[in-house]
Amino acid sequence: MAKEDIRIGVYVCHCGLNIAGSVDCEEVAKFAAKLPNVVLARDYRYTCSDQGQELIKKDIKEFRLNRVVVASCTPRLHEPTFRRVCEEAGLNKYLFEMANIREQCSWVHLNDRKAATEKAKDLVKMAVAKAALLEPAEEIEVPIIRKALVIGGGVAGIQAALDLADTGYKVYLVEKEPSIGGMMARIDKTFPTMDCSICILAPKMSDVGRHPNIELLTNSEVVDVKGYIGNFRVKVLKKPRYVKEDCSACGECSKVCPMIAPNEFDAGLALRHAVYTPFAQAVPSTYIIDMNLCLNKDGIMVCEKCIKACERQAIDFTMKPETIELEVGTIIVATGADVFDPSTLPQYGYGRYLNVITSLEFERLINAGGPSGGRLIRPSDLKIPKRVAFIQCVGSRSSKTGRTYCSNVCCMNTIKDSLLIKEHWPETEIYVFYVDIRAYGKGFEDLYKRAKNEGVKFIRGLPAEIFEDRKTRNLWLIGENTLLKEPYKMSFDLVVLSVGLEPRKDAELIQRLLTLSRTQDGFFMEAHPKLRPVDAATGGIFFAGCAEAPKDIKDSVTQASAAAARAGILMAKGKVTVEAITPILDLEKCKACGLCVKVCPYNAITLNKELKRVEIVEAACGGCGTCAAECPSDALTQNHFTDEQIIAQIDAVTGQDADKKIVAFCCNWCAYAGADFAGVSRMQYPHNVRIIRTMCSGRVAPKFVERAFARGAAAVLVAGCHPGDCHYINANYHTQRRVERLWKKMEQNGLNKERLQLLWVSAAEGERFASKIYEMQRIVESVTPDEIERAKKVFAKAGGA
Amino acid sequence: MPERLWRTPLDAEKAARPKAEIHILKDQCKGCGFCIQYCPKKVLEESDEINARGVHPPRVVDEKKCIICSFCTAVCPDFAIFVKEKTV
Repeated sequence: MAKEDIRIGVYVCHCGLNIAGSVDCEEVAKFAAKLPNVVLARDYRYTCSDQGQELIKKDIKEFRLNRVVVASCTPRLHEPTFRRVCEEAGLNKYLFEMANIREQCSWVHLNDRKAATEKAKDLVKMAVAKAALLEPAEEIEVPIIRKALVIGGGVAGIQAALDLADTGYKVYLVEKEPSIGGMMARIDKTFPTMDCSICILAPKMSDVGRHPNIELLTNSEVVDVKGYIGNFRVKVLKKPRYVKEDCSACGECSKVCPMIAPNEFDAGLALRHAVYTPFAQAVPSTYIIDMNLCLNKDGIMVCEKCIKACERQAIDFTMKPETIELEVGTIIVATGADVFDPSTLPQYGYGRYLNVITSLEFERLINAGGPSGGRLIRPSDLKIPKRVAFIQCVGSRSSKTGRTYCSNVCCMNTIKDSLLIKEHWPETEIYVFYVDIRAYGKGFEDLYKRAKNEGVKFIRGLPAEIFEDRKTRNLWLIGENTLLKEPYKMSFDLVVLSVGLEPRKDAELIQRLLTLSRTQDGFFMEAHPKLRPVDAATGGIFFAGCAEAPKDIKDSVTQASAAAARAGILMAKGKVTVEAITPILDLEKCKACGLCVKVCPYNAITLNKELKRVEIVEAACGGCGTCAAECPSDALTQNHFTDEQIIAQIDAVTGQDADKKIVAFCCNWCAYAGADFAGVSRMQYPHNVRIIRTMCSGRVAPKFVERAFARGAAAVLVAGCHPGDCHYINANYHTQRRVERLWKKMEQNGLNKERLQLLWVSAAEGERFASKIYEMQRIVESVTPDEIERAKKVFAKAGGA
Repeated sequence: MPERLWRTPLDAEKAARPKAEIHILKDQCKGCGFCIQYCPKKVLEESDEINARGVHPPRVVDEKKCIICSFCTAVCPDFAIFVKEKTV
């Protein structure tokens, strides 16, 4: 489209008094009307209202507008609204641009109408400059394979697999252990209803085992994942069981097997043989041989007892590991959690004192099918304890003794356990030592009350230390009752440590295979904590159960059904559109250096050595733009965030009074959202900052920063998500690398490197953003005209100003 | 399930294995040492005594450790060792 054809309409929104209260919207509209290519500028009370939307549609037709700029709230709020308006008026939605004059202007400069108005003008000018360069874009459609992979066969994985399979999709359920069932299979009863855990789980397990749409792969691990939303290629390593499916689970092999080891399922409280089944209800019921324990190693047949005992001749030592390749459209991560190992806390003596047990050991001991046949016995003398103590928050809610988060299930689990003891042995004296009791769920408080009514004593204040009486093996708990402000010293027969949940040891492997991100706690991070709680940031991947955060059975099942529904939506549609913010490649300029391939967090770019060019898989692209920032030969740029568009914004900011301004590049997800949050919270900060939004801080090419300095900007801020929290997996590490290189360059040329700042700020850290602007304001004030000129010279060549 | 397994299982005593009775025909042994080398539970060792063939036959270190897999019998080239289940 030739330049003279560009017809921009600008709408300056009052938002009632939200904007008009501190910005002279009329003046901004008048200013906008004079900007190049603008054919129409209006101020309007509520642009997002139906009337406002109709006005835009009418104008598009009447004034033949082919670009629309709305200056109002944050694009994170109403960009979709106005994009739709454009589309309805027959304008490609990528020809719309927004200027954020509410969250990032009127709300943060409430008491300086003049400055706020000037800033709003600048922001509109930037948006108009970008709008003039906008290009229509079509979103590509990617087909979705109508098969799903569920990783992890605990209750969450089971539920997700069943829901998807019942919907009619083929599901592969991969489980690392010999049987599905997970943690729930090991628990005796569930809270708050006291249902028998395995009794309600076992039918679901066997449903999985015989569902025609589910292919169950136990004793198997995902070893490789390639591809992208709708089209994942997964390699699964299926380890040999050494027992064929002909096995009738009669158990004769196990009886004759001479090798024994503690049974993991029973937390080591019972034995198993080298050929075994982890528990009676295991699915599949086929036995398995533990090759680490079996005598027949390295192909040498030392012992043949099991082979001789097996009537069906199901034992086969020649089985080999197989790698199975699957093609799936969606993946549900239901890998669960580990339990905290309390032996790292010497004060509780776990591992030294026989009668200190974990809550998981308790579950096995109280379970009728467990090693003690449901008699709660203490390990030292196998007698039924008369006084039992529960210690809460073992490994939870403490930076000193484990993890800082609340493990969510332990309070209710303990309350349930205390009632189970009372049910069988009502005379037992039970004390629960706690920090806070969190009985927040449906029916939880009732259970808590019931426990109190039945005489369970709750004492606030964890014991500082446990001592063992050498003779009786009883345990002395010493600590402070923080409600009574009194020290206590009490003796118990048995102490149960209510251990917390922690991320799986191999969570990092899954994270790497699926390019996921994790929170500081180590659990997988969802795309949005409120509105997309089961989606991963990577398209086509969903979370269920404790992999995402500690949760109880009900929440795991709920989340699993949600994840199945989310995956089902994609597969039902059969295709997905990818936002048109993917890279654009200029083949003539591409030198096939491969730098973009290295920085792409999604492996969406591959180097074709034969054709000496790179190839982009648009469907796999996350849209961060890091490749475009990395490309040394300007062969790559990002749709809707092109070099020209961003440079036009920089030039608009630095058009006048550049030496008093801060040019800020903020990533959409954290920094820009953080600045929005500062606005929503009405935090006031200096008005000389102008924010340019990119999807990721990784899009910020060094030449943008150089351009800003070359045009005389006083200071530049590059802001992104905290390392590890990047919305694009790890793209912000490249940001850091680039900024460090720029600092070096500034130092070498005698420039004050403080003028370029790098800030990690989360969407919730408005305060952090605001205080950075204050800090930078002082830098701006200290910069001399001489320094500005020197920077202009240093960067003139690279910045091309 | 990566919890640390450190306790003695409650059924450790009940899981009594059949007791072994190891028979070594010392004078048939030619001292190849196969039985010692291949025993998965390391029940045997070379003895100090010298047999009719002038070699050191094996001797039992700990009969309780034997799991009666009878691999020694299988590998012995001279039919000099066999294991029976001990009858009480």
